[in-house]
Amino acid sequence: MLKFDTSRKRLFGFLFLGWILLILSDRIGELRQYQGAFVAMYALAIASIILLTGYSGQLSLGHSALMAVGAYAGALSINNLKLHPAIALVIAALIAGLFGLLLGYAAARLSGPYLAGTTLALAVSLPTIANQFPILGGEQGLIFDIGVPPARLGEDFSLYQWFFWISSLTALIMIWLLVNLISTRYGREFRALRDNPIAAQLSGINIGRKKAVAFSLSAGIAGLAGGLLVMLISGVSPSAFPLSLSFLLLAGAVVTGVYSLKGVILGALVLVAIPEIAESVVSRIGGSEGFVTSLPGFMVSALLILTVLFAPSGPGHLLHHKKHLKH
Amino acid sequence: MIRNTRMKRLSIASVAVTVGALVFSSLPAQAADPGVTSREIKLGYSGPLTGSAGLVYGKLPGAMKAYFDHINAKGGVNGRKIKLVSRDDKYLPTLAATQTTNLVLNDKVFALVGALGTATHSKAYVAASLAKKNVPDLFVNTGFSGFANKGKYPTTFTILPSYAMEAKIMAKFIKDTPTLAPQASFLIAQDDEFGVDGVNGFKLAGHKFAAAPTLYPQGGLSAALAEGALTKLSAVPGKPVLVLFGTTDTTATILKAAEKLSLVSKFTWIAGSVGGDANTLLALGVKPATINGALAASFFPDAKDATDPYVKAFMKINTKYNKGVTFDNVVLQGMNSAMLTVQALRAAGKNLTRAGLIKAIETKGANFASAGLVPLNYSATSRVGYNGYWFGQLNEKGELKPFGGKLSVYTTDSSSNTAPTASSYERKPVPKNGVPRNS
Repeated sequence: MLKFDTSRKRLFGFLFLGWILLILSDRIGELRQYQGAFVAMYALAIASIILLTGYSGQLSLGHSALMAVGAYAGALSINNLKLHPAIALVIAALIAGLFGLLLGYAAARLSGPYLAGTTLALAVSLPTIANQFPILGGEQGLIFDIGVPPARLGEDFSLYQWFFWISSLTALIMIWLLVNLISTRYGREFRALRDNPIAAQLSGINIGRKKAVAFSLSAGIAGLAGGLLVMLISGVSPSAFPLSLSFLLLAGAVVTGVYSLKGVILGALVLVAIPEIAESVVSRIGGSEGFVTSLPGFMVSALLILTVLFAPSGPGHLLHHKKHLKH
Repeated sequence: MIRNTRMKRLSIASVAVTVGALVFSSLPAQAADPGVTSREIKLGYSGPLTGSAGLVYGKLPGAMKAYFDHINAKGGVNGRKIKLVSRDDKYLPTLAATQTTNLVLNDKVFALVGALGTATHSKAYVAASLAKKNVPDLFVNTGFSGFANKGKYPTTFTILPSYAMEAKIMAKFIKDTPTLAPQASFLIAQDDEFGVDGVNGFKLAGHKFAAAPTLYPQGGLSAALAEGALTKLSAVPGKPVLVLFGTTDTTATILKAAEKLSLVSKFTWIAGSVGGDANTLLALGVKPATINGALAASFFPDAKDATDPYVKAFMKINTKYNKGVTFDNVVLQGMNSAMLTVQALRAAGKNLTRAGLIKAIETKGANFASAGLVPLNYSATSRVGYNGYWFGQLNEKGELKPFGGKLSVYTTDSSSNTAPTASSYERKPVPKNGVPRNS
């Protein structure tokens, strides 16, 4: 009988998921492909928040700004350096990671509300910063064009399917790497940092450095998600990264369960599906324009309250817990 | 034997199926474009319905729908009723991209109409693959001259004159007006393609501002920043000319800052067509005395002028089909775009296709009846609608009266340094009962 260790099981799990997504991409329409690409992008962005908040205990209220850093780096790589879009996405992650490392070192002395305030200030000041440098294209921003899908994929292969493939593959690889990382010494150190910084320091963990590393990794992943986001909307501009995006991602992380990556797709799915569910509800029962526009916000709020009440560690954790109770 | 007969039958059936398939495959494709049936034409709108931009422009789809309801009540277009699906993009590029994609893929609209915003729509156009799917993108509410690039936006027709045209005509107006020409002039503009297009227009006209333009991000001019900018400019001697090239909410922020600092009478205010809607300014809390005497450019009749035949006809439709909504420039704009859409659909004929609709505007669009006091400029090579402006002065009631008591229309282009020329254009009479009968 074959025996697999956890990391192999995990690898096969991700490969199986990738295979399912590949088959699925041929069987769903263009709209679902486009929405699926958004789900993958949000899953990656939420994963970056879970790594930062859930695993290393740091709170960021301005993750949209870190996504923007990656997005601008990617756009400049394509437009000015004429690099391949795949390389541009790697650069998006690297530059955002480097930015996160600098910010992380600066913020290593801060914790709790002070760190949250610093990141919040960054997100608020982003439009002004972007407008200071003409190379960033001002309010209108820059084009982020990955071109048409390769001809060998066939004439029927749509741009949306191409988006779906790129987003899903990127998210799968990054989340697989992340899951592996948090089961190593780094993950344990991050958790020690979160649970009891003084005890962690007494155990020989360099708190400042580890905080900066966690911030940098999280920023890198957020930057990559930012690159994917602007790929999906074909351009990057300050208004593509409003403060509300940071809060939306935090809401997605809470729904997922901030201490676990298990339900990350669920959190992302909620963000994409809620407006559609709201629309469907409105079309069935009718309602005023005010009702239509406020329903998605109301549904997210209700979901957050329900999550906090019934599954404070996230639905993924809840399922895990039930499975253990059965044994 | 039986086996042979079976084989024979099978062979005959195979040949019949093959020949049938060949005949059918050689017939021209009859697949209709999405969003059009024998009884309905589905159109889509994506723009701000909520948020600060929604406060000003949120009336646009309602006005278009009211006009379409009016047309539907009169039998529709070639027997088809028009249905308008509106989606809120909150003036955010990400939402504009997803909502426009939703309109095309989920709602399966035949064409888009009246999309609003430069930064939003330029991204939505690419994300929703409008060019590849050949989705007509009608009467886009932006004056960004880039949308006139047929190579990049092959299905787009803009309606507003370009911001560069507006800036050129403004420059000429300042130069030709004896009370304004000797004064120092300054520009406060939105830092996107909207404002930058304007800055380029002033450059083309050879207009020299007394200082570099003050640029601010869209939605990013706070009251404090406006007060700072005005305080700085108040030191300039004389009565400086202050050109405001931004959206109406920003014009309101600047004018309210001037009220607070008691600097209203220090400047001569010139508001662009986008930011000079008096009704909206008053609704946003600007005092009637502040707008009294302000100069504004327009290509439409004044929305308060009930003697204008188009305004009168649209007001009547607004009262009946858009209950409780005040008639203003935005409503006028929406109804006018809807009337142009109806004429385009009629001109495309009974066998309605997306390609046919685009062709119809290219060939017949310049002759459509429209409320505008300046000519429409559509042709096989031009995708820009109106190409001129007239200048007026606002009074306390918010009415825009022709400057100097006489309507002077100027037309120009977006890219040359040729001076604007006076136009003698006379628009077509308003269609009877507000229902176009063109073909």
